[in-house]
Amino acid sequence: MTTSLQTFFLLGPEIALVAASLVVFLAGAFAGLRGGWSVAIVGIVGAMALSGGQPTDGETLVSGSVTIDGFSIFVRWMVLSLGLLLALVQAGDLFRSAVGHNSLHNRGGTCEEAGTFLILLAGLSLVGAANDLVLLFVGLELVSIPTYILLALKRTDPHGQEASLKYFFLSLVASALFLYAAVCFYGMGGSTSLAAIGARLQSNDETIVGMVVVLLPVALGMAMAGVAFRLAAVPMHFYAPDVYEGTSPGNAALLSTLPKIAGLVLLVRLLALGIPAAGSLTATDAASIGAGATSHLTLFWQLTAVLAALTMTVGNVMALLQKNLRRLLACSSIAHAGYLLVGVAVAAAAAAAQADRTLQAHVSDTSWTLGLGGMSASLFYLATYVLATTGIFAAITYLGHRWPEWNSGSGPRPPREEIAVIDDLNGLSGTNPVAAFALALFLLSLAGIPPLPGFWGKLSLAASALEVDWNAPIGFGSRRAVFVALAVILVLNAAIAAAYYLRIIAAIYFRTTKRGVQTDGGLSAGFAMLICMALLLMVMLQPRGLFVSASRAGSGSTFASIRVQHPTQTIDPQ
Amino acid sequence: MNSLTPSTHLLLVLATPLIGAVVAWVLGARGRHAVRQSAVVTAGLTLVSTGWLIVRYLQSPEAAAGEPYAVTTLPWLVSGIFDVRFSIGLDGLSLWLFGLSALLSLTAVLVSWEAIKERPIGFYVLLLVLEAAMLGVFVARDVILFYVFFEFTLVPLFFLIGIWGHDDRRRAAVKFFLYTLAGSVLAFLGLLVIVLWHASHVGNVTFDIDTLTAGMAAHPLPMNAEGGWLQLIVFWALFAGFAIKVPIVPFHTWLPLAHVEAPTGGSVDLAGVLLKIGIYGFLRFSLPMLPDASAVAAPWLFGLGVVGILYGALVALVQSDLKRLIAYSSVSHMGYCVLGIFALERVSLEGANLQLINHGLSSAGLFALVGMIYERFHTRSIVNLGGIATKAPWLTVLFMVFTFSSIGLPGLNGFVGEFMILAGSFQRAWTGVAPAFQSPFLVMSVSAVLGVVLGAWYMLWAVERVFFGTSRQPPHGPPVEACDLRWYETLSLLPLVVFVFWIGIAPATFLHPAAAAVRNASSAAAEAFADRMQAAQATIQTIAPTVNRVVVHPHASTPINVFPQPLPSQSSANP
Repeated sequence: MTTSLQTFFLLGPEIALVAASLVVFLAGAFAGLRGGWSVAIVGIVGAMALSGGQPTDGETLVSGSVTIDGFSIFVRWMVLSLGLLLALVQAGDLFRSAVGHNSLHNRGGTCEEAGTFLILLAGLSLVGAANDLVLLFVGLELVSIPTYILLALKRTDPHGQEASLKYFFLSLVASALFLYAAVCFYGMGGSTSLAAIGARLQSNDETIVGMVVVLLPVALGMAMAGVAFRLAAVPMHFYAPDVYEGTSPGNAALLSTLPKIAGLVLLVRLLALGIPAAGSLTATDAASIGAGATSHLTLFWQLTAVLAALTMTVGNVMALLQKNLRRLLACSSIAHAGYLLVGVAVAAAAAAAQADRTLQAHVSDTSWTLGLGGMSASLFYLATYVLATTGIFAAITYLGHRWPEWNSGSGPRPPREEIAVIDDLNGLSGTNPVAAFALALFLLSLAGIPPLPGFWGKLSLAASALEVDWNAPIGFGSRRAVFVALAVILVLNAAIAAAYYLRIIAAIYFRTTKRGVQTDGGLSAGFAMLICMALLLMVMLQPRGLFVSASRAGSGSTFASIRVQHPTQTIDPQ
Repeated sequence: MNSLTPSTHLLLVLATPLIGAVVAWVLGARGRHAVRQSAVVTAGLTLVSTGWLIVRYLQSPEAAAGEPYAVTTLPWLVSGIFDVRFSIGLDGLSLWLFGLSALLSLTAVLVSWEAIKERPIGFYVLLLVLEAAMLGVFVARDVILFYVFFEFTLVPLFFLIGIWGHDDRRRAAVKFFLYTLAGSVLAFLGLLVIVLWHASHVGNVTFDIDTLTAGMAAHPLPMNAEGGWLQLIVFWALFAGFAIKVPIVPFHTWLPLAHVEAPTGGSVDLAGVLLKIGIYGFLRFSLPMLPDASAVAAPWLFGLGVVGILYGALVALVQSDLKRLIAYSSVSHMGYCVLGIFALERVSLEGANLQLINHGLSSAGLFALVGMIYERFHTRSIVNLGGIATKAPWLTVLFMVFTFSSIGLPGLNGFVGEFMILAGSFQRAWTGVAPAFQSPFLVMSVSAVLGVVLGAWYMLWAVERVFFGTSRQPPHGPPVEACDLRWYETLSLLPLVVFVFWIGIAPATFLHPAAAAVRNASSAAAEAFADRMQAAQATIQTIAPTVNRVVVHPHASTPINVFPQPLPSQSSANP
């Protein structure tokens, strides 16, 4: 585990982000620079340029505690491009508070926020590349701590403080739980390197098999709890509505996207512990998969499948009851965490099935497997979700405040009202048709109406769930039955979700209002909204590009062993 | 004519409404008149172009060979497990529904001529987008593309109802959307299972409908306990989507609400075309891909069809709102289509396929006329209307024509469809089922005839109360001289009347092109049904030969005739 010059090279984009954040902090301290976010955007673009010079996917580079493979590159690109969009949203949010009359928002802090945000991005990107428990945890804390600061900086009213405190304490608990889980894994594996832990789990060593029985459920359970907080999944989901409501739309955009990426990465890394590295399956015999790995995979898919079903349903049912726009979107983000978990559960189950086959059959399996893993489906879904959600929050940020009810002469001008409840969007199609159209597109995409990107995402998730254990009979309680049920729950939830998305669209298009919106949220947020809309339409018309990169990332080196190539038969023409 | 290949022609037909929508949007700045003019021109162009395409199809060698015509296939998402293609083409099953969509779209645009005063740009743009989606759903030859168009018919209509509808429009729009969506996601999951099943046997994933149909014949989904009755599960999943769309009683509750609240143009499209997608789905997917499950479900759906006929008619009888009455008559008439499909007799299947068009014409005409009455008298309540015949004779004449078409007066189109459906269901009940099961089938098919009587009763009674009798002047009625049809209203209904007579007088023109396609779609299911009946009869006779409850019918000895020759009355209608 040496740290060589190559490690620094591989972490170039992250280092660039941190460097940019230092520049922003310093400049802010000395010059009171207003353009902190401009520097941040330049920094992100610089990081993108640096990661463009990185090795392309297909080859895996391991240096020290850093792994660069298709998966981490996909994560990094998603983080950086999302960071760019969020920076635009936040910048728009900020110009408003700088010029606001009696805004609740803190007026200072431009540069602090921009710098903190850059560190957050660097941490998230680091999580994607880490192959070591310590670096993983450091990366996670680099995500968490800036989030606390951003939440606290943005709002100084009681609601905002409640939100940031709630998030702070729960996040600490989640981090602690994850740390305990990490310790357990260290105890089992005897190393902090994920590869080493994985190799030990998969070995048929007597000691590890005994240890797994006791430690594995504890470790996985606590790790799941830590991950569930980041994904906003059941059972750690309840903070989301309160926190989203108490913070600014820009921060809500950040909270509903970036931690979800971190959570998904963690799940991938944890799952990969039970999966033999590429090629080892064919090279050696079935003995290469130990009982430890099998029980790890089994426990993993059972846990994630249950959490997925609960999270989808709880999120959607909660969302049906909401009136506040940000609370509703928080519940919708919970539900979407459930959809993401479906893909993870499918990947785990597919790996478990593969392990079963290898253990039992000792022969080359001739059954046909489809070319799409649940992990690719999850990654694709994550990308479409992130696009639509960021777009919605960008639009809300851009729209800003409603005009107050006020006749001149009836007293002093009342304070402006922020767009908070669904009814505040009434009649938006008349007052602001472009934003109304964009919002409708984003919402329909989240609802999964074809041919919008959300539909392609749900399609791949449902298809991947249906293909689990394809050749096995659907017995009651069998793995296949579970995943067929999961697919049914998924599509029914999609229909439930449409109910509350339609309520927003109905408010925008079917109702009228006398008080329009001010669109005082800043042009850059509007620009971010337009970019999201353009990307959404591009993915709708030609989903192939995103699809290919997601399947490459999902079936990257980590999951190469799941893919089994089989000779294809052709249907005889009658 | 040769310079325009059929494929390009079909693409142009699909693109015309979309281009027209953009044009209408651009012209929006010039005011309502420019927008509606451009919409009429677009719908008219699409109709002419569609008619021309249908004529070309009828003359083409593909039509004679029963192959899809004007096929275009472009890759859309070809990666990993997905081989989704933008694949369209016309065949016998989709031909008339495709034409009907174009025809009724023009009607929908024209009946909205004066009715839509607020936000006309959005209205006409959505109407044209809806037209493109309706045309697309019938020519899609790829499962995903079909589903895309299927769902995309919902979105424009959701807005049409929700923005330009009547008082309770928001609830109606949301209920309509959610109900249909909930069913269609299950149907989609079922289609996905079919695709994956096919893929697991062939080795490459395809969403192409023809390939899947052939593949399902070669490797049918399991229909036994070891296979988990997968075929039956998939059938009911598809049923959830299509039954809500049709709608089959008891899944019909969204329909009266949506119809009553929808603007006239929306009602025309909804009743005329969108309800047909459900039946089309049964013919396109359920029967050919899942024949064994269809055979198992057929008696139940046969019964549900009859229940729908009677229930719809009885509820229509007591309506006080004219539009709601016609909405329930739609439920009743779609019951005939369900009955015709699941009688699984050749005559009734062809009749049901024709009845789709008949009902599209008559219900669209009736909804349009009710809209015109509402525009004039600002009420749809039957008790508040009366004596319209003296004020608006031509409107009354047209209403009578569509009423007679709807109740199946011989010589008009409705008669042909209903007669064929009933003849087919009798044939099924008398000769096509095992004697042990005959009595329920007999009861059901005879009850279906009652629906014809009830249909005549509620329609003629409504006509009597609304158009004749004492002339009532509703509070906001216009002066008498302004009452009768205006030019655009005549123009919107005249093409429909032409087809009402044309189909009634020369049904063979319309039956013949679809016959082979309908037969291909249903032959597997009909054979499976016949096998099932024979097996059931054999089981009963071996289990309980002494019980002797089974009346040995004379027909039991003769082999069950699955596809008998067309009835004499039908062939006599051929010129």
